[in-house]
Amino acid sequence: MSEAIDARVLPAPGRGALALPFSWARTVPYLLAAPLLVYMVVFYALPVVTMLLRSVTEPDWTLAHYAALADDTVFLKVFWNTLYTAVIVTLGALLLGYPVALALVRTRGWTAAIILIVILLPFWTSVLVRSYAWMVLLGRHGLINEALVAAGLLDRPLRLLNTPLATYIAMTHILLPYMILPIANALRQIDPSLAKAASGLGATPWRTFRQVILPLSIPGVAAGVLLVFVLSLGFYITPAMVGGPREITLSMLIAQQVDQLNWAYASCLSAVLLAIALVIIGGAWRLPGIGNAFRMSGR
Amino acid sequence: MRKHRSPTTLGRRAAFGLVTAGLAAPFIRPSLAQQAWPEQTSIPDALKGSGEVRIATYGGTMQEAQQKAYFEPFEKLSGIKVRPFPGADPTKVKAMVDTGNVEWDMAQLSRGSIMNLQKTGDYFEKIDYSLIDDGVSPEFRFEYGLEMLLWAQVLAYRTDAFKGATPKGWADFWDTKKFPGDRAMFGTSGGGWPEMEIALMAAGVPADKLYPLDIDKALASYDKIKKDVVKWWDTGAVPIQLLTDREVTMTTVWNGRMAALQAAGVPAAISWNQGLLKRDAWGIPKGCKNKVNAQKFVAYSTMAIPQARVALGIPYGSVNSKSNEYIPAARQEVLPSAPAIKSQLVNYNYDWWIANRETVIPRFNKWLLS
Amino acid sequence: MKPAGRGASVTLTRLEKRFDRVAAVAGVSLDIHSGEFLTLLGPSGSGKTTTLMMIAGFEMPTAGDIAIDGASVIAMPPYRRNIGMVFQNYALFPHLTVAENIGFPLKQRGVTKAERTRLVGQALELVHLPGYDERYPRQLSGGQQQRVALARAIVFQPRLLLMDEPLGALDKQLRENLQLEMRRLHADLGITFIYVTHDQEEALTMSDRIAVMNEGLVAQVGRPEDLYDRPSSRFVAGFIGESNFLPAIVRGLEDNVVVAECDGAILRAISPNKPACGDKVMLTTRPERLRFADGAWTSDAPQNRISVTVTEAVFAGERCRYMLQAAEGTAMVLKEPSSAAIRRRAVGERAEIAWSIADTILV
Repeated sequence: MSEAIDARVLPAPGRGALALPFSWARTVPYLLAAPLLVYMVVFYALPVVTMLLRSVTEPDWTLAHYAALADDTVFLKVFWNTLYTAVIVTLGALLLGYPVALALVRTRGWTAAIILIVILLPFWTSVLVRSYAWMVLLGRHGLINEALVAAGLLDRPLRLLNTPLATYIAMTHILLPYMILPIANALRQIDPSLAKAASGLGATPWRTFRQVILPLSIPGVAAGVLLVFVLSLGFYITPAMVGGPREITLSMLIAQQVDQLNWAYASCLSAVLLAIALVIIGGAWRLPGIGNAFRMSGR
Repeated sequence: MRKHRSPTTLGRRAAFGLVTAGLAAPFIRPSLAQQAWPEQTSIPDALKGSGEVRIATYGGTMQEAQQKAYFEPFEKLSGIKVRPFPGADPTKVKAMVDTGNVEWDMAQLSRGSIMNLQKTGDYFEKIDYSLIDDGVSPEFRFEYGLEMLLWAQVLAYRTDAFKGATPKGWADFWDTKKFPGDRAMFGTSGGGWPEMEIALMAAGVPADKLYPLDIDKALASYDKIKKDVVKWWDTGAVPIQLLTDREVTMTTVWNGRMAALQAAGVPAAISWNQGLLKRDAWGIPKGCKNKVNAQKFVAYSTMAIPQARVALGIPYGSVNSKSNEYIPAARQEVLPSAPAIKSQLVNYNYDWWIANRETVIPRFNKWLLS
Repeated sequence: MKPAGRGASVTLTRLEKRFDRVAAVAGVSLDIHSGEFLTLLGPSGSGKTTTLMMIAGFEMPTAGDIAIDGASVIAMPPYRRNIGMVFQNYALFPHLTVAENIGFPLKQRGVTKAERTRLVGQALELVHLPGYDERYPRQLSGGQQQRVALARAIVFQPRLLLMDEPLGALDKQLRENLQLEMRRLHADLGITFIYVTHDQEEALTMSDRIAVMNEGLVAQVGRPEDLYDRPSSRFVAGFIGESNFLPAIVRGLEDNVVVAECDGAILRAISPNKPACGDKVMLTTRPERLRFADGAWTSDAPQNRISVTVTEAVFAGERCRYMLQAAEGTAMVLKEPSSAAIRRRAVGERAEIAWSIADTILV
């Protein structure tokens, strides 16, 4: 009974000095995703600092370029469109990617290897080729439309290519691995006996997923969401190739302004893009769903 | 393989070019291999030399044509080695000159992009006109560059789309009742200048009254076609792709691109009427290592025979009036420089754009997004 | 928490589990009585955990049947079997507090929040962890975590509790404390416990009955003292407690007693069956049941005797341990309670040892 006595001698449960070391154990899924983030910071930050300087030093020291953004309707529209696209793509990747991550973790041997290869395959083809493939699929006379018309489901081909929908589809496809891998990482870290325990304690498979697996995978979901969202913000090629006529993203605007030799304005836009990414990464920690994932272990 | 773009966009465009050029290349080679190209056997001693000249090009089929038309002959005749670099781009010139690390001795740009950059600083060497052939008329000459290629931004359409009807100009382009189907037009996303002239002509402004451009009127005209434009293209491969895939029935194109499309059997044609006649120009970046060789190559490449050879390799026109005697009549029918075609085209006014682009492009962007 | 009435009875019938043709469980038949504390004891790989997992429903048997209270549960998913389960690694939900962990099975059963709070409180009292409701598993020691796991497994008043080496990760002292607590809990709750362990001492201490498993089969089932005193096989004799094994040749039978020759001596042993004369057999006896038979020590009980030489002598505090060798080389171990009044033997010393015929078993 010494154990029970010890227990009563311990200070009252609650926040205590124990909290700090435990939070580290829970951030392991994040650390797994970290190399990619670190890479982006290192190879993105230095050029952008140079660009940042340009945005406040041309022609002289000035903040005029930033001040002008507030009234710049082109910028505001593009800004909104970029964020909106990133949100849709992130949600799409999450909804499609989570089940795949589950399948990846729950299969063994050849099946798992094949799933992994299918997930990673897009990494081995250029964004350009993949975007082009979507053009072939989604075109007015592309495979999807031809099939639907041939099957009698459509009278006339739909306009799929050169619409925002095409952008969402193609970007989601390209970014899926960035969602799947962190989630699979988090799922893999969940002790398999937890699912057994839940089942043995009377939880149906759905409730086991909802009450045990899902909450424990939140750190991976958060990492995936952050990666996909931040990467979405910088997309250029895909929306330009398959997107609608008025679909201009922030990076497209930046490229255009570089081409037009408005480098100060371009660097100002780049600074804004980077700032959004940083604010989102910082802010994500405070979101209830994601924050809980840390708090539950940080207590 | 036409327009120059920024470093960030080049990768995409170059690769996009590869995708489509891969389809088109087999059909282009026969024209390159055509018999009976005029050969130049000697050049003035002033154009001879040693060492090398590094030339930024647009790569692809354009560079292939240039290789055969004047890179190889120049090496043989002058003793100067030619090293082509695909990816000509005014922003790269700016970056090179700004950092003092100039990797190109000359670049294929346009009067517009050269003068644009020259407005912001000293980026280009002056052309040594003492070397230039007499056949190059004064209209193509300017202080910091020499125009070396004529091309046209024209209307192209699917010949199977309108039951035999033929669009004759921009009013027809705007008429989606008579000529149904989606459209594509050149946009600003790749740093280009929008086709304000075309919008104005569609609204009935006569070709000789275009400049100075009435932007309000142009945008009002654009309003009428906006919903039918599914793509504001930014690189020459795109409209060709859209026509091939039947995504659009009518689009603006760079005329040189159409030959490959037609050779591939796509039922498409050009309507030259009211097309915009544009020019590419050689520019010599300030402080380049082989500036003397560059001057020599600029002079050689604008001589009559080299210019004719380019026109035989790729359907772009010559800036040397003496070239015509080397170009067969059949070939003239596809060149924007041919008198019968040139008379239908509208001379593009680079000077107006250099003076006004800073206000016009933001207005176009705003209009596009509204 | 009130006892949940009598526990469930469990019947395993020719239960089999094969993984890729390798039989982990090769045909286990076992009747587990209502309210019984039954331990599945065996070395790793003996099939005990697989058997438990099949009862819980986490593994599907390849053949055979499992019945709880007479009804087959083979086709029933684990979440409908209503069985409490404690895992070796506790399997507490790291994202839930202690109270939420214990309340988990209640929540699945639609118990109201207020009732949940009450039952969780009771369960925490029962495992001596009141006031720990709001802690997270990581903030608890291993022993505390195991108590929470136990509370969670019984809070919904199952009639059957399965435990898979629940004390395996704890240190010895803690383990002994918790063993006693589990006995007490078992007595209080009155439900059926099926307990898996490879620790024979733990099994002997806690169980009503023990099923010794080896190579996917049940080697012997019985009360701890039966298994200890009457092992039915060399494996059981060796696995439970320490045994001396004496190779012998049967020379005759006297009622239930086998007369056999071992190392030049005639020994008598209890035998469940009747071997023939001339059979080579193995006799077994426990080291602590041997005595040095010289000097004053005598006994009225019928005895086996044999002459030996001491080859090794170890003083181990509460007892002395001697390695002995008979004339023809048979090695034996003898354990003697240590006492200042008993003379210690020296290495090389010759002696006669004796032990009860009732403590000599033919296996």
